[in-house]
Amino acid sequence: MQTLMRSILGGVALGALSLTSGLATMFAANVIGLTADPWLVVIGAVLFTSMVAAVSFMSMNRAMMRLRAELEDHGSTPSGQGPRWLRSVLRTMMEYQVRHRQAEAAWRTRQRELEINAKMAIGGQRQAEAVLGVMDEAVVVCNAFREITLVNAAAGAMLGCHPADAVGKPMAEVIDDSMVRRIMQETLEAGVGVDPRRCELTLHGARGESACEIVSACVPDDRGRTAAVVTVLHDLSREREISQLKSEFVSKASHELRTPLSSMQAYVELLVDGEANDEATRREFYEIIQAETERLSRLVDNMLNISRIEAGIIEIDRSEVDIRELVESAVRTMEPQARSRRIDLHTEIAPLGATVDGDADMLCQVVVNLLSNAVKYTPEGGRVTVSVDSDTLTRSVHVAVSDTGLGIAPADAEHVFEKFYRVENYKRVAKGTGLGLNLCRHIIETVHRGQIGLESTIGMGSRFWFTVPMAQTPAKLAA
Amino acid sequence: MSRRILVVDDESHILHVLSLKLRNSGFIVDTAVDGEDAMHQLASAQPDLVITDLQMPYVNGIELCRSLLSDAATADIPVIILTARGYALGSEAASLSNVRKVVNKPFSPRTILEQVRRVLGIDTDIMERAA
Repeated sequence: MQTLMRSILGGVALGALSLTSGLATMFAANVIGLTADPWLVVIGAVLFTSMVAAVSFMSMNRAMMRLRAELEDHGSTPSGQGPRWLRSVLRTMMEYQVRHRQAEAAWRTRQRELEINAKMAIGGQRQAEAVLGVMDEAVVVCNAFREITLVNAAAGAMLGCHPADAVGKPMAEVIDDSMVRRIMQETLEAGVGVDPRRCELTLHGARGESACEIVSACVPDDRGRTAAVVTVLHDLSREREISQLKSEFVSKASHELRTPLSSMQAYVELLVDGEANDEATRREFYEIIQAETERLSRLVDNMLNISRIEAGIIEIDRSEVDIRELVESAVRTMEPQARSRRIDLHTEIAPLGATVDGDADMLCQVVVNLLSNAVKYTPEGGRVTVSVDSDTLTRSVHVAVSDTGLGIAPADAEHVFEKFYRVENYKRVAKGTGLGLNLCRHIIETVHRGQIGLESTIGMGSRFWFTVPMAQTPAKLAA
Repeated sequence: MSRRILVVDDESHILHVLSLKLRNSGFIVDTAVDGEDAMHQLASAQPDLVITDLQMPYVNGIELCRSLLSDAATADIPVIILTARGYALGSEAASLSNVRKVVNKPFSPRTILEQVRRVLGIDTDIMERAA
């Protein structure tokens, strides 16, 4: 625009110059007396001035027209036609225009970048809030003025405060536990450039006392000063509980494995030392060693099967299993053992369909385990009954093993399905691995989505039962 | 004169093995199936030594040792504890003055016999020469 004004002013100046030169010619002719008639001089001067003005006007007009045309044509560059001064003016103008367009494009790009960055920042913040919200660890952030700036959901539950209400409040108002406050305070005073403070403590929080690991660190601002203190509290209660359970399991497993191993080692040593004087005694020792080896083998198998089911890595061979046939097969297996103890073993099988979708071997193992326990813990001359029934309403098959044995006290009944739990009264009666019923529970509840339970009265015998869902009929499957 | 030993364990095979080994070595052996049974037997006949399992129903090995200590008549009877726990009993056994030895299961009957003789102050060499 500045250049355009300069070119128009140039045209105006040329016109003024031509007028001045005309008047000067007229004045000079008049002074030196070149003509006798002053009107002729005036007319001549006027004509000369008009001609020069007309030429100037036409030139300026042409330039203006070209300038206009070139300005209207945004994509063009200044042409090589026209006066040199005008080409220069146009080139300058076009350069300014190109620079302006470039600057405008750069600004728009920058604006888009800022918009994207803002969206990303908002997204990142929401993501961070979501992560903090679902974290099991409690996170508390306070600023350099000891005011709470963030409390996640876990911290709210642990400290007994609402996260939104805590923000802006002094640290001392939100955190009751003096030890946590002290650690945050010390972290703040130590400032940046110091390793995060890390220790274990007993937190006195909203859920009572709990073992916690606490990590507290300073967050620096852009000048390297402390902007905030971030504190993370990790509840160790569950880990301690798991560790305790593992330790107990290893201790019990070790005890159960060492017991048959002790017998085996001792009898072998007696045989080696010639302590068995006759063939009958030696044979007795061999049979004991064999029985203890089988016991040890069963124990290891049960431990591995439970472990595989718990880890979800056991291979399940599913098929349509007729529970009636399965129970009859298990009863045939147990008949010799029952007969040797003069126990009446019989079945009560309902004539209804009792097909389930399951692993036949595993289900058979459950029935054999329940029958084996019933036969072992029922006094000689007793009775063991296996019943099979189905419920079309709940679409499940029920199996129950009842005995006329010792019965189980309610305090023991709560625990009989736990690993290595042995009813004290029963230890004198027969040997067991302490894992049979736990394996049964895993097979029924974890593998077959069924239920297992016990009803018992001391002195009146026990009734172990389980239910498993019926198999879907082909018609239902097709539907 | 033969020494009397009471062996206490809820595992019948352990009772069988130790009885046989000790009887074959000239000891008089009584057996009890748990701590409660042992305490009944102690009332009628006092042994020179008790070998007891640690983990038993009703009355465990530690409780049996405490019971022995609480009665002046049995407080001096030495005890050997058998355990399948697999780790040291630590302070539990150390606090009981009558516990002379803790043996981990699985154990060697020969080792038990050796420990019994040592606790009772029987010269192993003399025994071997006599044999």
